[in-house]
Amino acid sequence: MKAVAALAALVGAAVAVVAYVVISEQQSSGVQPWSNELSDNVFFARTIPFVLGAGIAFGMLGAAMTGSRPTPGRRFSGATIFGHWLITIGFVLALPTGVWQYLGGIIDKELPLRLYLIYRVHYVGAAIVLFCVAYFPVYWWQTGHYGLVVPRGQWKRHLAGFARDLPPRIGRPLARALRLDPSSAPPAEGDFTYYETAFSFPTWAFALALISLTGLIKALRYLMPVPGPILWGASTLHVAAMVLLVWKVLDHLRYVFGRWPLVAAMTTGRQPGKTEAA
Amino acid sequence: MRPLAAVLGLLWAALNVVLAAVFLVSAFIATTPQHEGILAQIALLLGGALVGAFGVLLAMQSWKLITGRPA
Repeated sequence: MKAVAALAALVGAAVAVVAYVVISEQQSSGVQPWSNELSDNVFFARTIPFVLGAGIAFGMLGAAMTGSRPTPGRRFSGATIFGHWLITIGFVLALPTGVWQYLGGIIDKELPLRLYLIYRVHYVGAAIVLFCVAYFPVYWWQTGHYGLVVPRGQWKRHLAGFARDLPPRIGRPLARALRLDPSSAPPAEGDFTYYETAFSFPTWAFALALISLTGLIKALRYLMPVPGPILWGASTLHVAAMVLLVWKVLDHLRYVFGRWPLVAAMTTGRQPGKTEAA
Repeated sequence: MRPLAAVLGLLWAALNVVLAAVFLVSAFIATTPQHEGILAQIALLLGGALVGAFGVLLAMQSWKLITGRPA
C-alpha cells in the first residue's frame, strides 16, 4: 500500500511539475498580448486542477505513511503536522495580500508595490491552501481519522457540551437560544473538546469550503464565460470568507496559546496521555 | 519557544486590531462602501468589530504566555 501511495504521489507531483513548466512556457511565449496581471490570472486558473490532483496524491501518501492504527503518546501524525504547517504558510501568504486587495479598494490607496506582485503572492498562497483542501480530506478518508467530526445524531450533545464549556455569560444565552441542556453532555471523550468538534472544526471547514469554492468561480472566468451575477456573488462571498478566516486564525491562536501542549504536539506530534487522533 | 510564539501572537494581534480599526472607520467615512450601500457598511462594521474583539483576546492570551500566568 505504501509503495502504491508513494507511486501515486510521485505521479501527482510529476504531473504538477510538467503542467507548471508547460503552462509557463505557453504563457511566456508572448503569443498573447497580456499584461503581467492578466497573465498571472490565467496561469493560476490553469494550474488549479494539477494543484488539486497533487493534493489528492499526497493525501494518499500521508495516509499510507501514517496507517490507521493509533499510536500511544502521539497526538498528531507527521502527515497532519506537514499539512497543518503547509496551510499555515498558505494563510500567511494569501490572507494579508487578500485583505490588502480588498482594503486598497475600500480606502482607495495603493502600495508602492505593483498590484500584480500582490496578486502573484496571493495566488501562491491560494494554491497552497487549495493543495491542503484536497490533501486533508483524502488523508482523513484513507486513515479513518474522523475524531473531529461530530457523529450522526450527536450534534445536540456536542453543542450542549460546547455551550457548557463557554464562559457562563456567553454559554447560558447560547444554550437557551438553541434549547440545549448543558448538563446533558458528559465530559468530552476522546481526544478533542466539544469546542473543537462542535464549533472550531465545523467553522474551519465552512470557511475553507466557501473561500475555495468562490475562489474557483472567480478563477474560472479566465477560462470560460461566467455570468455577471454569479461572479458578483462569488466575489462578495469570497471577501466574507476571507474575514471569517481572519477571525478563525485569531480565535485558533487564542485557543491553542491557552493550551500550550497542543502547540508542542503540533510541532513534535507528541502529547503525553494522548493517542494519535488526527 | 513560548516567548517567541507570544511575541508573534502579539504582533499578529496588533496588525489585526489596526485592520479592525480601518474596517470600523471605513464603515462610516470611506466613499466606496457608501456607494455600495448600507449592507456593505454593516458588513465592514460587523467584520471590524469581530476581528477587533478577537485581536484583543489574542493579545491578552499572548501576554499571559509571556508573563507565565495561567490562562
